[in-house]
Amino acid sequence: MKRTCLGASLAKRIVAFGAMLFLSLNLYAQISVSGKVTSGSDGTPLPGVNILVKGTTSGTITDAEGNYTVDVPTGDGVLIFSFVGYVTQEVPIAGKTTLDVALPADATELSEVVVTALGIEREKRDLGYAVQEINGDDITQARETNIGNALAGKVAGVTVVGNPSGIGGSSRITIRGERSLNINKNQPLFIVDGVPITNETFGSSGRSNQDVDYGNGAGFVNPDDVESMTVLKGASATALYGSRGQNGVIIIKTKSGKGSQGNVSFNTSVTFEDPLRLPDYQNVYGQGLNGEFEFLDGNGGGVRDGVDESWGPKMDGQLIKQFDSPTTNGYRGGDVGNLNTIIGPVDYAAQLAQRGEIIATPFLAYPDNIRDFFETGMTFSQNVAVTGGNESGDVRASYTLLDQTGMVPNTDLKRHNFALSAGYKLTPKLSFRATANYVKNLSKNRPSLSYGTENIMYLFNCWFPRSLNINSFRNYWQAGREDLNQFNFNYNYHDNPYFNVYENTNGQEIDRLFGNMSATYQFNDFLMLMARVGTDYSDEFRDRRRAYSTQRYPLGSYREEQIFLQETNADFLLSFNKDLNSDFSISASVGGNAMRRRYNLSDISAPQLTVPGIYSFNNSRVALQYFSFNSEKRINSLYAFTQFGFKNYLFLELTARNDWSSTLPGNNWSYFYPSASVSLVLSDLFDIESTPMSFAKVRAGFAAVGNDTDPYQLLSTYTAQNPAQGLPSYSESSVIQNANLKPEQSRSLEVGLDVRFLENRIGLDLTYYRTRSENQILNVPLTITSGYSARVINAGLIENKGIEVMLNLIPVQTQAFEWSMNINFSRNRSTVLELYKDAESGQEIRNYVMASRELTVEARVGERMGDMYGIGYQRVSSDPNSQYYDPSGQYVGEIIYNAQGKPLPTATTVKLGNYNPDWLAGIYNTFTFKGLSLGFLFDVRQGGEVYSQTQTVGREGGIIAETLEGRANGYDLSLPGNGVIGPGVVAITDGGGNITGFTPNTTKLSAREWHSSITLGRRLKEPMVYDASFVKLREVKFGYTLPGSVTRGLPFRNISIALVGRNLMLWADVPHIDPETASSAGGTIIPGVESVAIPSARSYGFNVSFNL
Amino acid sequence: MISMKLNISKKYFWSLCTILFAACTGDFEEINTNRNSPTSTQPNLILPGVQRDMMNALVDETWSIGNTVIQHTAKNQFVNEDRYLWGERNTIWNAVYDNMRDVNNILLQAEEDNLPNYKGVALILKSWMFSLVTDAYGDVPYSEALNGKEGVFFPKYDTQESIYDGILSDLEEANGLLNGAFNISGDLIYQGEVENWRKLANSLRIRYLMRISDRRDVSAALSTIVNNPDQYPIFTSNDDHAVYTFLAESPDQFPLFTYRIGSFNEFRASKTLTDRLKTTNDPRLFIFVRPTPATEATPSTTDDKYEGIPNGMADVEALTYNGGPEFQSRVGPLYFEQANTPLGLQVAKGVIMTYAELQFLLAEAAQKSLISGDAETYYLNAINASFDFYGLVPEASYLTQAEVAYTGSQDELLEKIGTQKWISLFFQGMEAWFEWRRTGYPVLTPAVDNQNNDMIPARFIYPIIEQSLNADNRAAAVARQGEDDLNSRVWWDVNPN
Repeated sequence: MKRTCLGASLAKRIVAFGAMLFLSLNLYAQISVSGKVTSGSDGTPLPGVNILVKGTTSGTITDAEGNYTVDVPTGDGVLIFSFVGYVTQEVPIAGKTTLDVALPADATELSEVVVTALGIEREKRDLGYAVQEINGDDITQARETNIGNALAGKVAGVTVVGNPSGIGGSSRITIRGERSLNINKNQPLFIVDGVPITNETFGSSGRSNQDVDYGNGAGFVNPDDVESMTVLKGASATALYGSRGQNGVIIIKTKSGKGSQGNVSFNTSVTFEDPLRLPDYQNVYGQGLNGEFEFLDGNGGGVRDGVDESWGPKMDGQLIKQFDSPTTNGYRGGDVGNLNTIIGPVDYAAQLAQRGEIIATPFLAYPDNIRDFFETGMTFSQNVAVTGGNESGDVRASYTLLDQTGMVPNTDLKRHNFALSAGYKLTPKLSFRATANYVKNLSKNRPSLSYGTENIMYLFNCWFPRSLNINSFRNYWQAGREDLNQFNFNYNYHDNPYFNVYENTNGQEIDRLFGNMSATYQFNDFLMLMARVGTDYSDEFRDRRRAYSTQRYPLGSYREEQIFLQETNADFLLSFNKDLNSDFSISASVGGNAMRRRYNLSDISAPQLTVPGIYSFNNSRVALQYFSFNSEKRINSLYAFTQFGFKNYLFLELTARNDWSSTLPGNNWSYFYPSASVSLVLSDLFDIESTPMSFAKVRAGFAAVGNDTDPYQLLSTYTAQNPAQGLPSYSESSVIQNANLKPEQSRSLEVGLDVRFLENRIGLDLTYYRTRSENQILNVPLTITSGYSARVINAGLIENKGIEVMLNLIPVQTQAFEWSMNINFSRNRSTVLELYKDAESGQEIRNYVMASRELTVEARVGERMGDMYGIGYQRVSSDPNSQYYDPSGQYVGEIIYNAQGKPLPTATTVKLGNYNPDWLAGIYNTFTFKGLSLGFLFDVRQGGEVYSQTQTVGREGGIIAETLEGRANGYDLSLPGNGVIGPGVVAITDGGGNITGFTPNTTKLSAREWHSSITLGRRLKEPMVYDASFVKLREVKFGYTLPGSVTRGLPFRNISIALVGRNLMLWADVPHIDPETASSAGGTIIPGVESVAIPSARSYGFNVSFNL
Repeated sequence: MISMKLNISKKYFWSLCTILFAACTGDFEEINTNRNSPTSTQPNLILPGVQRDMMNALVDETWSIGNTVIQHTAKNQFVNEDRYLWGERNTIWNAVYDNMRDVNNILLQAEEDNLPNYKGVALILKSWMFSLVTDAYGDVPYSEALNGKEGVFFPKYDTQESIYDGILSDLEEANGLLNGAFNISGDLIYQGEVENWRKLANSLRIRYLMRISDRRDVSAALSTIVNNPDQYPIFTSNDDHAVYTFLAESPDQFPLFTYRIGSFNEFRASKTLTDRLKTTNDPRLFIFVRPTPATEATPSTTDDKYEGIPNGMADVEALTYNGGPEFQSRVGPLYFEQANTPLGLQVAKGVIMTYAELQFLLAEAAQKSLISGDAETYYLNAINASFDFYGLVPEASYLTQAEVAYTGSQDELLEKIGTQKWISLFFQGMEAWFEWRRTGYPVLTPAVDNQNNDMIPARFIYPIIEQSLNADNRAAAVARQGEDDLNSRVWWDVNPN
């Protein structure tokens, strides 16, 4: 049934795809010039050479063999051939139809243009700071649904954590470490075509048990429309973006029709996903307790049948009554009727009599019962883009359909991206450009997350007994009780996983529009004015349905959230650019920006439903609950920057910016920050081109950046609560606001070196940086005994220091074969230098709780950011002052147990680890042989820790492999192999209760007791913290571009086919889970804490692209 | 030349700033004004939420720990709590301080607007809430608490003794402030009847005087109240008790109503309770507890069996006890699926204080000669009031049997009072636990397989987060009070038990 549906929808897609093919028309019919471009030094063909018809914007590039064909309007024009590292040539056509060109190499010039702040394109050699660029092609083939994840392993200094949430989830990106003590405010700014777009995670706070990752904003950018992504890492690079750029900026430039002469391109990508890693389960013991189990009603009425754990009988085929066994009346064992008496009055006896006696069936292990629940996810992406241009204008229109079905059944995501980019030169001086992106994002269900019955992984990683056949759950209503009572193995605590994903859906629909319009007036050859208006508008609707008989919502529920967000930016830039004489050049610009942002949230729910299955507020049994919040914020800015060049080897850049933010008090709402950077091209200064060193540059930069805050942080208010028994109810906000807030300050320094050897076959780029962020605007947690949970203050001094290394190598380069390597390495240390000391009272804050889930993430003075704290083991101490001092020294470090054989907890929380890595590295290898190319990326993370809730609770549930320890021969403690003696010691005490020594622990616990005692019932966090180091085979691409000789005469050109894979392999020490994980709580993504996460996906598939 | 250029551009830059933007910040203040919520409000709009939140928290914590530690209920799954593996228990702490912010706002507003009745009610709530938190934890922030807005971010922990001084004086002040001629609104406990609040103030004072009676001579203070009913009115019947009645409809239902059935079923009747009630043929058994599932399932009621389980068995033992859960009684339906029925609404309440409890306290006070008056009369009043709460009347034979009749030595009489009070405090496990710690009655055996060296816990540990947020003051309290574990005794707890 399911297969047919899949087939049908695939067929539909093929029809749609075919229809697009017919869109192709031969748009132009002109003179055609073709030829081959080769390297002037060794005669090898040059692929990727830019060819432009002079005086127009049309042109082409050479294929893999250096061949090209370009249409020209007349036979007397000129073609311009340009390529990095070669001297640009202008060649008159002179009526010829074949033009072969040999480009002379230009080893001294390294003309590499990158996008910098405000979208200004600059030569990389001029820059006094590090930038790193990713080409659009690198993210379209092996694609990610969230474009942010595509950065993983590719850019030095960038840490990406994709939230494991099934489909198109959020990705948490940090650049050069964490600056802000607000865990949600460490993400970079995303700029698309010069205008900011939002990347925040909204809503979904409040009502418990409904955590869902609805994706973050930048994930909406379509890879097919991206020409390049540029990562500006340091404050020097981002100073012009002001406050919002202080965590780095990711500039996305979308494709335009420039340089195209009429082209239709297609890209199709199909990838399949399956779980990269599932826990290692035991397959010996099934459901029950102490070796006993027999199903009667899944509610404790049978033998241990209220137990959802796997401490039951051996799964050796013995006959046992089970929830899916047949009954004498033709029902299933689990068709017990209505046990949850809240739904209505029941007569148990009559219900059970109607079902009949259960007929015992073999008790068997289902080793793949959880893997089999997951389906092969499929992501289908189809892009068609039409481009065209001539000397006065260009246009590109693109449509992309992303159709994803998740690994979790009945989860999906459908995204339509429409992109339009057009430019027109109205007069030689005045030109216009407009880009628009419309995104329609639809999901009928995104999976629920976090620890609780709403998340299927709560069942699968912790409780789901090994003796359950997943297929028995597919028919998830009880016979004759459709829409009323789910069918399940346990009615005490759980929801049937299929019922969960098919009935309890979290839908989403987003309409989003972002784009801008700009006009540029070129007064003369050195003065230019640009004015631009851009907006990012999104309207999001979420609905959450909960069916009758859901554990948490026995009478169902329905909830709608409506989120409206609009940010508008209007800016201008006046630029001056002139070479003063042959030695001096100067450019200077002034600009301004006005930003306005509105946010409206409304969240309404019907806590119970009258009629099952009708999801409407009209069907609410009780009064609706509601919450709404509207806010507005404005920032006005002025900025100026100037650059001086001397002899094209020394460059100095200065920037200044002032912001006025509505969120700060009047005396502090204006703040200014400057930056300066310098770049010196040593290879030009000392003229060293004859040496093996082909290029050398040093750079240095300093910058200060200020920051504002969210709206309404100045004054305390009373918040409306849900009415109490119908009476209106207000409560003062538990956050103490602050009418004297100051803007945040962050200052950074960076120095770098860029050297290249052997005609650029070896390139090394080194950066050292230091950033100090202070006066952060924080919700500092308070002890609730102060009456308040937090207060807003300026506090903190966080230092980030680090190095970034980028190494580019071309170990082998022959005419036909090339092997190139890109290696990036980064190491960052974020240290908390100060938190807060009250000037008047002298009161001091020495630690700051940034997030709390299972354990706490705290910033403590002198310690690193990202440290995690929780209760640890009490261990024998070498400190004579300790109560647990061992004078003999024999047992120092051993875990101490009490007389009952259980570990002692520490009295206070201890540092358990840090979620930040010690270092990160990415190694990208590319091999090209004629039209073939093979690329693979290894992503290495060394150090850091992760806490595993799966390990904690999976032990209690008796399902993970470790739980075989202590029950080699069942549960009889008198038999060998059964029971566990905790490794460690017990204290010997004198009459006064003082510890005089230690002796090895000899108390044996039963397996069940041991596996929950190891955490003292989830209290001890230490044993479940693991080294989070890993190596991942992040990406593999095996591509083939058909040679021009094959496609000549066909209607298709530039045909490439690629086999692609992402996250294919994982090497890690942590058991059961992918250490690259996070948990989400009310819109906050908390790294380092695994809370029964949905498994990360391994994806593989293919990508086909061609032009017409 | 370069620097000249720079100067010029800087000059232009700043003139531009002034011209373009001086006016543009004009509406910033208005933009940054929160239109979602008011900056001030009235006491009657604050009061309902405080009462609701406190009662929800109290019922939740009563169910999950209070009823169990005091052996009204016992667990047959997830038995850690029943074996005294408690970890931190923050519900009371968080609810009290979080809601005290709003109680404090009522006090401030009432002071400002001269509303003595609201002030009196707020003082009573404050006293009750602080007694909950100090009885559960010992020394806690009090005198410096709730002053976050005045810049006190690290309130010191006060001794329990000084907290009780404050509680008692606040209650006395409340009695003086409250005037029944002007009723209030927004009150879900007494529907605004101020005279009832006044009775509560004095009844609570009796409770808290008795609480510290092993430390202080409270005889005079008690006598003053008991002997001057006009000046110090107290509860005179069940009509006066301070209870919060839940509604039949969500979201104001009895909190347990929405629990997963498994989370309800993992609590069973404690053998300590069922044995006691069965020995004395106490009909309240049939309210508190239901028949074992095996006997309940049959149409006949004559075979109904009421079997509790011992507290604190290891998990396998607990779940297999007496043949398994089918043979272990669950808590009565009025506290779960029938909580929204008319009878359920009468029984499953949030309780501040009942008339029965007051009468038991007076019986004890009289028996100890702290007040004049007949202890037996108080004792019988109390038992009758407790039965009446459930719509029952005790049979004469119930009252005259040896275990109940008010006869015996001083210790035996005090034990009878304590035991009957313990029964009457069913589903008021927190209060029952406090009073057991003070009096030692009824005599309880620690949980069978407990993990606390055979001691029934005597307090909660402080929330772990206090180690981060108020470390020094917490440490000072620990140094004064004893280790931050389950066994350090609070100040009023002096009797060995």
